Amino acid sequence: MDKFKAQMAEILEVDDFNLSDELKSFECWDSLTILSIIAFAGDSYNVALSANDVIGSKTVGGLYELINSKK
Amino acid sequence: MSSFNPFSLEGRRILVTGAASGIGKATSIMLSKLGAKLLLIDINREGLLETKQLCSTDDQILAFDLVDFPKLKAEVLEMVLNFGKLNGVVHLAGKSYIAPLKSISEEKCFDVFTLNTYSALELAKLFINRNIYAGEKGSIVLVSSVYGIVGSPANVGYAMSKSALLGITKSLAMELAGKGIRVNCVAPGFVKTNMLNSASELFDANYAETLNRLHPLGIGEPDDVASSIAYLLSDAAKWVTGAVFNIDGGFTAQ
Repeated sequence: MDKFKAQMAEILEVDDFNLSDELKSFECWDSLTILSIIAFAGDSYNVALSANDVIGSKTVGGLYELINSKK
Repeated sequence: MSSFNPFSLEGRRILVTGAASGIGKATSIMLSKLGAKLLLIDINREGLLETKQLCSTDDQILAFDLVDFPKLKAEVLEMVLNFGKLNGVVHLAGKSYIAPLKSISEEKCFDVFTLNTYSALELAKLFINRNIYAGEKGSIVLVSSVYGIVGSPANVGYAMSKSALLGITKSLAMELAGKGIRVNCVAPGFVKTNMLNSASELFDANYAETLNRLHPLGIGEPDDVASSIAYLLSDAAKWVTGAVFNIDGGFTAQ
């Protein structure tokens, strides 16, 4: 979880966040951020996500669960 | 009726990488129809067998990872003993890498660069070996991309690998002209292949519409690229070297 949080903080361009935070609430949220998350899931967890998967996970915690469910 | 056909590849022996699918498969079939004898390389044995079935029975396949360069040299040297010396090489093997700058990975970048770009140098080095090059009608065709020429977001790793091929084309064209070897490059736009389908899955529903808008003549077919490669291998292009052909339905005309 620590590794996930550290990497997500970098992708979302924030120092800290809550797992309940909505992905679309982050200031940097755009299509490139979605692609960064897809690349991160593939590189770090060998999990293939689509843009719709990422959007559908709604929150940072939802994204974490999604990645774990696909591992 | 004369048999004049400057596009004929009768009697040519040509090595094609990435021959198992997409543009590589279409190119192999077209070169075969034009009379070339082919040495087909890809990591995907099943795909290679499919391609071979659609080409001439004289063609040979080599299924292994192209970036195993010592093996590449040994395998091609051995194969050429029976197959005959080569007149041309087409380097189509490649992989895409969609990642915004903040998620770029060094390992992936080097992986993409090694296959898409550096292997072109290893192939050229192998081709000029006196035991491999037939000594006449030499032609090397490298396959870049529109994204080697124009920019797009989340594509910098791939763009690095494909834009470097433009420099390689021009440098090798100068270096190898004295040996009678021409070196050219095609830079395709988006064509209907599995690689495009995989990339599309990453994006939203508007992606197809956006892609179509980028190509005034619409998305291409693999044969649209294959025919330009066939031309560059043929005598019709005997005064063409160091050239980069944009085969992209008008993508880069905008």
